[in-house]
Amino acid sequence: MSAGLTRLWERLPLKKHAAQSRIRVFSNQDQPEIEDDEEFRVLSLRTVKQQFQRRQQVRRDPITPPRTTRMAVDQDWTAVWPGPRSFHPASVPLPLRQGFTERGAAAPSKFANAELMKIPNFLHLTPPAIRQQCEAIKRFCTPWPKGLETEAKWQRHFPIEVTTTDYCQSLPTIRNPEARKVTVSLKLSDLRFDSHSRDKFLRLVGDRYNKETDILTIVTDRCPQKKQNYDYALYLLTACYHESFVTEPWEETKSEADMEEYLFERNQSKISAEGILNWNAKEGAPKESPSKSYANSVEQLINEGENEYNLGKYKEEVKKMLNIV
Amino acid sequence: MNFLKKLVPQAAAEVQQLSRSSIHTSVVCCRVQSGRYRITTKRNRALTYEMANPPHFIGHRKSWNSWNTSTLKDALRPSQTAIEDVFIRKFVTGTWHALVCSEIIIKRQHNTIRIAALIRQAITPRKMYFLIGYTEELLSYWMQCPVTLELQTVGDKKDVVFKYI
Repeated sequence: MSAGLTRLWERLPLKKHAAQSRIRVFSNQDQPEIEDDEEFRVLSLRTVKQQFQRRQQVRRDPITPPRTTRMAVDQDWTAVWPGPRSFHPASVPLPLRQGFTERGAAAPSKFANAELMKIPNFLHLTPPAIRQQCEAIKRFCTPWPKGLETEAKWQRHFPIEVTTTDYCQSLPTIRNPEARKVTVSLKLSDLRFDSHSRDKFLRLVGDRYNKETDILTIVTDRCPQKKQNYDYALYLLTACYHESFVTEPWEETKSEADMEEYLFERNQSKISAEGILNWNAKEGAPKESPSKSYANSVEQLINEGENEYNLGKYKEEVKKMLNIV
Repeated sequence: MNFLKKLVPQAAAEVQQLSRSSIHTSVVCCRVQSGRYRITTKRNRALTYEMANPPHFIGHRKSWNSWNTSTLKDALRPSQTAIEDVFIRKFVTGTWHALVCSEIIIKRQHNTIRIAALIRQAITPRKMYFLIGYTEELLSYWMQCPVTLELQTVGDKKDVVFKYI
């Protein structure tokens, strides 16, 4: 454009001055365009983004406020928290706090508090909930049998006590091998024995009998099932009881040295005492036998050992028997 | 040492000799580091309540992350339960990628497994519901027992920060 203007200026020499001033004005205005034309164009293979695009704002759904703000005061809590569940701050309208902090600082609040989620809560076992559940299962209950009100009463009807254990565990299986154990216990005074069978029964059961409490305890765990062990325990009890009444032929050969206890009836002292009492008695007259209290004192003296009391009692009995005053 | 001197003079002399030559050159082996965090110079390491209390405070200031009966005396399957818990933790942190803000709490009751955690509100509720169902379904298939997810969401990561060290 400036070249064209120059040519115009050469053709019109008369108006040179005015044109000059005009050119200056023009040239001043058009200078950037002139420079643009003269510069090399840049070959841009990649399109360079002139402006950085602004990052799109992530649209978020509005978060609803915690449910506790909309809870009625007289709501049914059992409907809010029907079963065991981890703590959730938006459902529990209590200002709970948990956690250890420096002295003076408040404990962490219930929101975003993992400690409150860890501990087991009993929000599903509030007294109204328990009452409701008891009401619901009431129709499956039967009344307590009459005549079994006290322990003394039901122990007379049910002398045998069976103890088994069930295990509640947090495992995928409900089986526990320890649950097979069955303990059967009863008082030995509930069984009827004579002296021989009692002795034999105690020998058969061994250390399952507790002398102090008079309780026989049978523990069975050799079968895999609880039912089998229970049956086995009752079988053992029955078998031992009936076996104790059987007298084997070899039991007759029990000599005085095998006796575990001194018995007046079987011993020489009875024969001697009878001999003294029946001194010079006529033929055919009824035999006098030593008194029961004398027999007891002799048995006591030998079984329990010699002590002051036993010796004194024996002395008294001998005096009485021989009429020595 | 004084009582030894009184008892046996010879033993006391030996003890003295021992104390002169007993210099340990081996490394101290009693260093305990796990579960403890180092203080940074700028005091800008964020700790949750769980991280702020070292392991010896378990049962005092913080409680266990796994609740089950396998750890009781003579209980069944202790090792299997521990391995399963590790697997559940890895699976949940991976499935809820960069969303879990707390430790994963695993509670077992009978045959149910209840998993609790704090989740960031960074994805839409729709995706969250999908992930809950996905996690429950797959875990219950693998563990062969019902699995329940009991999540709590937090708006921001900084909500769970207990202190900066």
